[in-house]
Amino acid sequence: MKVPNPTSTREAWILCLILGVIMLNFPFLQIFNTGRSIFGIPILVFYFFIGWPISILVIFLFVNRLQREERNQKRDEEKE
Amino acid sequence: MISPLIVALVSIAYFALLFAVAYYADARSAAGRSLINNPYIYSLSLGVYCTSWTYYGSVGRAATSGLDFLPIYLGPTLIAFTWWFLLRKMVRVSKEQNIVSIADFISSRYDRSPLLGALVTLIAVLGIMPYIALQLKAVARTFDLLISPTTVAEVGLHNLFPALPNYIDTAFVMALVLSLFGVLFGARHLDASERHEGLVAAIALESIVKLVAFFAVGLFVTFGLFDGFDDIFSRFSHQFPERLALFRLDTAAIPYTKWFTLTFASMMAIMFLPRQFHIMVTENAHEDHIKGAMWRFPAYIFLLNVFVIPIALGGLLLNGGDTSQADYFVINLPLAAGHPWLALLVFIGGFSASAGMVMVSSVTLSTMILNHLIMPLILRIKVDIGDFSGILINLKRFGIIGVVFLGYLYYRVIGDSYALVNMGLISFIAAAQFAPAVIGGLYWRRANQKAALVGLSLGFILWFYTLLVPSFVLSGWMESNILDHGPFGISLLRPLQLFGLTGFDIWTNSLFWTMFFNLGAFLSLSFFCTQKPSEREQARFFVDVYGENPLPEQRRRISKAPTIMEFVELMAKFIGEKPANTAIASYLGDQEINSRGSLADQEIPALKAFTERTLAGYVGSAPAKIILDNYLSTRGSEMEDVFDIFGSVTLSRTASRGQLSVLYEAARIVSRGSDFDKTLQGLLSLLMQQFKFDLCMIRFLDEQSMTLTVKAQMGMTSKHFGESERNLDMETYIGATFLSNTSTVVNDTEYLDKHISAQIIHRENIKSFAHAPIVVEDEPVGVLSAFSRTSKGIFTDEFVALFNNLARQVGIAWRNHQQLTKLLSAREQERDLEIAKTIQMSLLPGGIPELSHIDLSGICVPAHAVGGDYYDFIRRSNGTLDLVIADVSGHNIGSALIMAETRTFIQAMRQIEQPSAMLDELNRFFYEDLSRAELFVTMFYLQYHPETGQLLFANAGHNNPILWRNQTNTGEMLDGEGMILGIKPDIDFEQRKTKLTKGDILVLYTDGVTEAEDSKGQFFGEGRLHTLISEYQHLPATLMIDQILEQIRIFTGNRHFNDDISLVIMKVVHLGPLTPELDAQTNN
Repeated sequence: MKVPNPTSTREAWILCLILGVIMLNFPFLQIFNTGRSIFGIPILVFYFFIGWPISILVIFLFVNRLQREERNQKRDEEKE
Repeated sequence: MISPLIVALVSIAYFALLFAVAYYADARSAAGRSLINNPYIYSLSLGVYCTSWTYYGSVGRAATSGLDFLPIYLGPTLIAFTWWFLLRKMVRVSKEQNIVSIADFISSRYDRSPLLGALVTLIAVLGIMPYIALQLKAVARTFDLLISPTTVAEVGLHNLFPALPNYIDTAFVMALVLSLFGVLFGARHLDASERHEGLVAAIALESIVKLVAFFAVGLFVTFGLFDGFDDIFSRFSHQFPERLALFRLDTAAIPYTKWFTLTFASMMAIMFLPRQFHIMVTENAHEDHIKGAMWRFPAYIFLLNVFVIPIALGGLLLNGGDTSQADYFVINLPLAAGHPWLALLVFIGGFSASAGMVMVSSVTLSTMILNHLIMPLILRIKVDIGDFSGILINLKRFGIIGVVFLGYLYYRVIGDSYALVNMGLISFIAAAQFAPAVIGGLYWRRANQKAALVGLSLGFILWFYTLLVPSFVLSGWMESNILDHGPFGISLLRPLQLFGLTGFDIWTNSLFWTMFFNLGAFLSLSFFCTQKPSEREQARFFVDVYGENPLPEQRRRISKAPTIMEFVELMAKFIGEKPANTAIASYLGDQEINSRGSLADQEIPALKAFTERTLAGYVGSAPAKIILDNYLSTRGSEMEDVFDIFGSVTLSRTASRGQLSVLYEAARIVSRGSDFDKTLQGLLSLLMQQFKFDLCMIRFLDEQSMTLTVKAQMGMTSKHFGESERNLDMETYIGATFLSNTSTVVNDTEYLDKHISAQIIHRENIKSFAHAPIVVEDEPVGVLSAFSRTSKGIFTDEFVALFNNLARQVGIAWRNHQQLTKLLSAREQERDLEIAKTIQMSLLPGGIPELSHIDLSGICVPAHAVGGDYYDFIRRSNGTLDLVIADVSGHNIGSALIMAETRTFIQAMRQIEQPSAMLDELNRFFYEDLSRAELFVTMFYLQYHPETGQLLFANAGHNNPILWRNQTNTGEMLDGEGMILGIKPDIDFEQRKTKLTKGDILVLYTDGVTEAEDSKGQFFGEGRLHTLISEYQHLPATLMIDQILEQIRIFTGNRHFNDDISLVIMKVVHLGPLTPELDAQTNN
């Protein structure tokens, strides 16, 4: 079985991981680590519960693209 | 408050549902329609990560310390980014190596080290067992809460069955049922690499129940008890403004370092906790499912967390800020609000969280204990048990029960303590210790066994010292001295401020020091130590699992190799007969099995590896290796490196190019076309030089003696061996090679079944040899042989292919040689023939006698260069003309010589006047010569008197000439009694006579005319000749001959005749006295 374009995919995933780790740690979190609230919800809590689904969405989009590429590849192979 | 009976009944009903689902999934799996083979079930089953520690504990943490419940879930979301390469690679490797647990994975990667397997198992058991206790505690505690929320004391089960003895409590019953579940669905077969579909289905269902229950209570609290999220938050900030720090980081409770530590630990835990490894890797049905799980699982845990803070805050608000029962807000809030059914649902959810963890952990741990602690022990002390398979599966079942009840014991003895409550995180840090060995092992080829062993040991020791010891102290079981002043008063060694590192929480301190020593030792030892070859090979299976860098194949062989059946028996001993047979059948497929019931020599190591892999699926990779090694060593078999036969090829570096270059060189030697013997010597010395043989030789079939005789040899000289001929029979390997026209390879001369060969081979101390037939156009003409006194097993498939090719080159040289010889002799012959032809043609009458009385013509068309046909005209002084036509059998030089002799005789014996007398003399003269040469001659002899038209004739077995009568316009046959010349010494030749008149035509011919064949094999025949004569009778004799020949050619459809053809035609022009000029001519 061939790995579809393994290095670039892997690099993209690792990039996302690093970005995620940065955005969920000091000093990035310090931006939201204030006592303020947004819609009545403490801003840090708000950040987590908005940022988290967004990161899940990113994975979802990535995976979808991966699957689409694989489907295309398979179709191309069948055509050949 | 709910009646204990109802709680018990609902619990039992839920259990029954789980059993039913598990049973159904197993049945579906057995029927081949897997229920769990889809990405949804896979994603859900990963939810086993969320135990009751997080189910109840998250809310507790949120209420007491704040946001630090979050990293436990954020970590998995982050690491999910790596799943498509990291997890997938783990899955791929595990499937290919039949790896069944994290201990197996690490042990297998590092040369199947039993020690590593045991170490990982030890860490896992120490780290996980208390965690099981925690789960049992949670269930028991919530059960009691449901029944009597107010009492803190344990009552539970004894309310329901007061008769029960004291030691049987809720947790005990729970432990019993869960271990039963584990045994039923986790240890049905011994083969741990086979998926446990029932177990996974149950886990997936539990994940749904967990989520639904938690979500329900979350909705109830947020929107039932309060008025949405902002309502909770605003009421909380009004009521407890001093506790707003709960929503902050960088506080005393949650410094950023702790935040990072928790994130990192949970990232490692989701990957390397034994139960996670089991569900994610071992139970993975298809790699593609990972893709779906990458976002579905984070989404799942996100949903599980949405209501954690609202519930925690709601609980605080409703309990007046009391955090003592914060861990049970989830169940207490609905109870307090008068919704016992919702509380019951929550209880079932928490129960699911506990049950899932306990079931999977117990199955995994018992597999690990069996494979890495018990099996090596059994194998080490070498108990001889006939059939292991039955014992092993029971050991495994016993192991599951044992693990659960050890957890129960832990719970009973240690009870509610710091150690237990924090067991979740303690186990996370333990799991993190596996990370360097696993990740390094997957991506770094040089990561070696020593490094993993030392790294893990150091990590384990530090984990024990910085986490377990302090938690024991904090629980009050140990003197607190060690925490405050360090062991023996050495303050540098205080567990929580190790080496003077102060200012960090217990988790960060521990994670830092364990990772520092673990990773440090792992990296540096990997860097500085070298790997054993077997280790390097095993590492390739992990690092290069996708085959990016194919292995330069190391050739190995097994001396005294077991047969296939012996391998099967060995497997059957451990895994049972039926699985063993099924496994081997699928492995062998269409491989060729030789007469000894085994595979080709070079296939045996692969079969051994397969046997080992199959066993690994049942007993773990390290024990499988021990089993195989023990087995082979008791047989006296050894894995030995095979001398790489291409290694010494100096013409080129790589093996495939080495082959090519040897062949190229061989072709060059052959095409140089020097002397045949030199060519053969050249080929042999090429073989000797490139491959370090002790003897190479070439034998050719000697057609006279029908033996294979040595034509060339090189290397050691041994009379008996090298120069003896071999009979053409199947008794020797060389004879068999020639007769069967296939190469023979013997890689180990300990096994020889032809005793004539064996005698010679053993006397000469040959270790291995090969014969290849020398083939020319698919027919063997000889045998090429190579012998080695030093190495066994050097004749690999590649080499044999090359060897056969070389033999073919020898064949080409042989054919070239043969053709050259033939060509030379043909050239010689051709010249002779040319001369013979010229001579022969000159023997035929050069011209036609000038005689106005007749029109005469003759022709001879030899089928080959020389022929045996002969005709002649002889004018006599008395005016008569003798006509002779003869056919000597054969078309060769011999025939031509006889023909020449005949002519000489006839010309010389003109004095013999009568045709019959001439034949008589000829026969007497030639009889000896002809019978010796096995030849014979047919001849028709005629004597014509042009004046009178009288014709005398006699026949010696020749075709009857045709006499065409002008008057009647019909043909008649001339004949006379007489036998072929050269048959008998004395023959009577009858002489007859007839008279010709004007216009009569005499046609003499040889059998080449009448027996000319058309494409259908039909003869030209006399009939056609008659017709042609009548048709062309008016033409001059020469033209008649041309026409007849042309017609014969048309008839045969061929320009060339198969037989010599001679035709003589004489037409009578007129009769009467001869003119004087003619006489004069005759006398010349």
